[in-house]
Amino acid sequence: MSVDQDETLQRLKAAVHFTVGRLCQKLGEDHGRGFSRQVIAAIAETTFRQCDVFAKDLEAFSRHAKRSTVNAEDVKLVARRSSALSIYIQNKSEELNQEQKKKNSGKRKSRDTEEESRE
Amino acid sequence: MAEQDAEIVFKKETVGKLLSGFFKEDKTKLSSDAALLMAEILKVFVQEAAMRSQKQAQSEDCDQVDIEHFEKILPQLLLDF
Repeated sequence: MSVDQDETLQRLKAAVHFTVGRLCQKLGEDHGRGFSRQVIAAIAETTFRQCDVFAKDLEAFSRHAKRSTVNAEDVKLVARRSSALSIYIQNKSEELNQEQKKKNSGKRKSRDTEEESRE
Repeated sequence: MAEQDAEIVFKKETVGKLLSGFFKEDKTKLSSDAALLMAEILKVFVQEAAMRSQKQAQSEDCDQVDIEHFEKILPQLLLDF
């Protein structure tokens, strides 16, 4: 079982490294200063380790609220240290809620028009 | 080139598996919205790390962002998050 877990871990690390590389490449192009491979690997490793910290915090917050599922409220707490980040995440959360509402009302509208056309 | 304008993101699935793997208890789950929001936070984290490293390299008149630049900004980065 631990071998599979290792493989999954490696694949996740590789996925993180890939996205970090792309983000750094874009930033490098935008500002005319490239990132060494060592830096990209270091940022990827740090991001990976930071996920452990975030995950433990998220789990603790949801457990404190007597839930077993981590939700958006827990994520907002994780972002509390930086007010800019906090506001950014709150706005993103609002956006997601708006999209959910649109999807739900869209389903209801199409159901209504279906019933109308049948009558 | 339309491909260059496509937004670079962490995939929701990757973020989900990543965070779930670090949970201490098996019963702890991650909602879909939480995974999406965490993907945003991770992207900001990476961009902060990269931008600060780049500014450090700039202040030292270096053409490339090297490991020393990242090492110098790392402590404050971790404190800020």
